[in-house]
Amino acid sequence: MTFTGAIGAICLFPLRAIIAACVALRIHPNVLTFTGVVVNVAAAWALAVGRFVTAGVLMVIANIFDFIDGKVAKELKMESKFGGFWDSVMDRFSDLSLFIGLIVLYARLDSAQYIIITALATMFSVMTSYTRARAESLIDKCKVGFMERPERIVLFMIGAFTNRMAAVLWVILVLSIITVADRIYYTWRELNGSRNVEETLAAEWQQQKARRQQRRVS
Amino acid sequence: MAAAESTPTAKAGVVKRLITLPLLVLWRAFFWTYDRATWQYDLMVIAILAFVWLTPPSLLGDPAAQGDGLIGWILEKLK
Repeated sequence: MTFTGAIGAICLFPLRAIIAACVALRIHPNVLTFTGVVVNVAAAWALAVGRFVTAGVLMVIANIFDFIDGKVAKELKMESKFGGFWDSVMDRFSDLSLFIGLIVLYARLDSAQYIIITALATMFSVMTSYTRARAESLIDKCKVGFMERPERIVLFMIGAFTNRMAAVLWVILVLSIITVADRIYYTWRELNGSRNVEETLAAEWQQQKARRQQRRVS
Repeated sequence: MAAAESTPTAKAGVVKRLITLPLLVLWRAFFWTYDRATWQYDLMVIAILAFVWLTPPSLLGDPAAQGDGLIGWILEKLK
């Protein structure tokens, strides 16, 4: 098992109990989704006033709601197309709230540099979701690029708990730009049927390996 | 044999061989297609955490951070 796989498995233990409790209480999944957004707005406020640890705790709570809503919907057989749509829309509200919280914080600290960095990170985080949504209206799937929402949220928590939000913002910004570029390139390639750069490089590498082996044998 | 290896074609072959693998690794890191909980994902996570925790906040001009962070603590302990 990988390091991240092990962490995921450990986190799943308490979450199973919470899911079971929500199923027993028959809480509607859409209510769980909305509760998650409200808690995230509170986390954004905590970020805005510079209370990073409080923000981190609130983000953990908010994302528990965010994680379990789909599972509870499945258990209660309440899965619906609207549920999926509602979840995606609420996710954007949650993300944007956190970024706005940081913009307010940096405005209070008179840091124009980090206001710009946070605004750019906001833009590319929204574009990450948008490029995938738009691409999947044209092609079957566009699940490429590293910086998706779960990675962003975990990074926010790490930044909040360890008071390293600036470094986290840089990571989110750079990797979101790359993710958006990946998705644009992938969609272009799928729509035009062009050969992948990776395939070309991999084929070249395999040829070189075969030639080396042949030389060794002879 | 030695003469053949020093010809421009052979030299180009060596350069091509030296460049292909790093290019492939770089391309795969940029054009990310790996799933979560794979060793490639772990490696990326370690690289990100190293950047976040080991970069001194002063280097990034972090207006909200206090202290020098993990690297500062390590340097302090080494002293």
